[in-house]
Amino acid sequence: MADRRIFEDREQFLEALRLLVREGVPRDRIRVFTPFGVPEVEEILLGKRSKVRFFALIGAASGTVTGFAFTILTSLSWPLIVGGKPIVSVPPFLIIAFALTILFGALSTFAGFLLMSRLPSPSGIRSEEEYGNAFVILVEDGGRR
Amino acid sequence: MTRGEGGMGNGEKYAKVDRDILAAMEKPGRLYLAGLAVAASLVVIGGILWAYQIRSGLGVAGYTHPVGWAVYITNFVFWVGIAHSGTLISAVLYLFRARYRTSFNRAAEAMTVFALMVAGLFPLIHLGRSWLFYYLIPYPNQRQLWVNFRSPLIWDVFAVGTYFTVSLVFFYVGMIPDFAAAKQHVAGIRKRIFSVLSLGWKGTEREWRHYGMLYLFLAAFATPLVASVHSVVSWDFAMSIVPGWHTTIFAPYFVAGAILSGTAMVITLVVPLRKAMNLHEYITDDHFESIAKILLFTSLIVSYAYIVEFGMASYSGNIFEMEAFRYRALGEFRYLTWAMIFCNSLVPLTLFAKRLRRNTTFLLVVSLLVNVGMWLERFVIIVTSLAHDFDPYVWGTYRPTYVEVGISLGSFGLFFLLYLLFVKNLPVLSISEIKEHL
Repeated sequence: MADRRIFEDREQFLEALRLLVREGVPRDRIRVFTPFGVPEVEEILLGKRSKVRFFALIGAASGTVTGFAFTILTSLSWPLIVGGKPIVSVPPFLIIAFALTILFGALSTFAGFLLMSRLPSPSGIRSEEEYGNAFVILVEDGGRR
Repeated sequence: MTRGEGGMGNGEKYAKVDRDILAAMEKPGRLYLAGLAVAASLVVIGGILWAYQIRSGLGVAGYTHPVGWAVYITNFVFWVGIAHSGTLISAVLYLFRARYRTSFNRAAEAMTVFALMVAGLFPLIHLGRSWLFYYLIPYPNQRQLWVNFRSPLIWDVFAVGTYFTVSLVFFYVGMIPDFAAAKQHVAGIRKRIFSVLSLGWKGTEREWRHYGMLYLFLAAFATPLVASVHSVVSWDFAMSIVPGWHTTIFAPYFVAGAILSGTAMVITLVVPLRKAMNLHEYITDDHFESIAKILLFTSLIVSYAYIVEFGMASYSGNIFEMEAFRYRALGEFRYLTWAMIFCNSLVPLTLFAKRLRRNTTFLLVVSLLVNVGMWLERFVIIVTSLAHDFDPYVWGTYRPTYVEVGISLGSFGLFFLLYLLFVKNLPVLSISEIKEHL
C-alpha cells in the first residue's frame, strides 16, 4: 500500500518532500498533489521540461504552412484577377496564414496538454477522493514496480 | 504550523479563498434577478425585432443610399473592441507578470468571450438574408469557386474566428483547476457538471507542469491577437478608398481605441461585481488604480490619433479628405463628434489625479462615459464618411430606425445576460492563482 502524508503548509510540505528525496526514495515512486502550481516541486523531483512546447511549435508551423498553401492553391485552382491584384497576393494571404498560425498553435498546445497530462481522466472525474487545500505526498509501494 | 497574517494558518487562508469566491454562486438576491429580467427582456425585444427584419427585409433598417453601413457595423466594431482588453489583461499582463491581473483576469476573459459572441451576430444581422452567412466560409462550392482571400471581409472571418476560439480555450483552461476546487464545495448536479468540466484534474505534479507550459503558450499565442484582430477590423475600412477611412493610421488607432473601450467595460463590470460579491479583499483599490492607468494611457493614444487624423487631412491637399473631416467636426453629426472627444479624450484626463483613480464610483462614471464615447467614435467614423464622400450629388444622411436601436439594445441585453449567468455559475476569480499569490 502507498504511504500518504498530508500537509497544510506549503513550506512544511516542500521540506518533507526534500527529505524524502534525500533519504533516497526513488523519485518515480513519489506522487504529489497540490492545490496550485508549486514550481519547487518540479525542481525537487527533477521533472523534465514539459513537452507541450513542441506541440506549440508544430501546431504553429503547420498553421503557417496551411494558411499559405490554402490561399495560394485555391487561388491558382481558379485564377481570377480581382481588383487588379496578382493571383498569388502574398500580403493579404499573410493575414490568413498569421491567423491560422495562432489558431493551430493554440489548439495544438491544448491538445498536447491533454495528451501529456492524461486528461480527461474518467477515473479522476468519478473519483471521490478529495484533498481540498492540502498538499499531499504519496509514496507508492516499491513492490509494484 | 506557520501562522500567516491575522493569525490564520495557511489551510484556513486557502479555505477562506474558496469560501469567499464560491460564495458568489449562492442563491441569487433580488437585485440580481431584477438585472437578469431586464437583460433577458432586452434580448427578447432584440430577437423579435431581428425576426421582424428578417421577415420584412433590410428596408426596416435606416440604410439610405450612400450610407449602407451604419449601426450594425458600429456594434460589430464596438463589441470586437470590447473583447480586446480582456485578452490584454489575461495574456499580456500574464507575460509581464503583473500581479494585479489575478483580480481581473477571469472577469475579463469572460467579457472577451461574451463580447465576441455578441459581435459575431452583427455581420449576420447586417447581411439581411442572414441564412446566407455560410458564403463567408471557405469551402469548395458547387462551382468550385473559393472565397476571395484578398478581401478584408474574409480576413475578418479568419481573425475573429481565431480570436473567439483562442479566447474560449484560454478562458476554459484557466478554469480547469478551479472547477476541481469548486466541485469539492458543491453537491448534486452541479458537482457532477464541475467534475466533468475539470476533466478529472487532481493537481498532480505532472498536471501542473504541463499546465504551466500550456498557460504560458496560450498567453503568448493570444498576445499578438490583441494587436492583430482590431487591425484587421480597421482594414475593413482602411482598404477602401472612402475619404475618412482610407488612412494608414487606422490599425494602431483602432487597437488603442479597442483597449480603451475594453478597459472601460472591465471597470463597468468589476466595480458592481466587487460590491455585490463582497470581494474587496481580492480586488483592491490598488488594482483599480492600475487598470485606471491603462485607461488613461490608451485614452491619450486615442486622443493623439484624433489629432493626427485631423492633421493629416488638413495637410493632405486632398479636397475630399479635408471635406470629410470638416463635415465630421462641423457637419450634421457634429454633436456626436464633440461628445466623442469629450468622453474619450477629456473625461479620462481627470485620471491624472491619484485620488480619482482610486475612487471606484468615479471610475465607474468615467468608464460608462468612455463606453458611450467609443460607441460614438465608431458611429461617427462609419456614418459621416459614407454620408459625405466624393460627389456632392450623391451625398446623403442617415437616421437609425427603431429596429436598429432595439437590436442594439438587445445586444447589450445579451452581453449582460451572459455575464450575469457567468457570475452565478462559474468561479468569478481565479482561485488557484489567488492561493498561489497569498
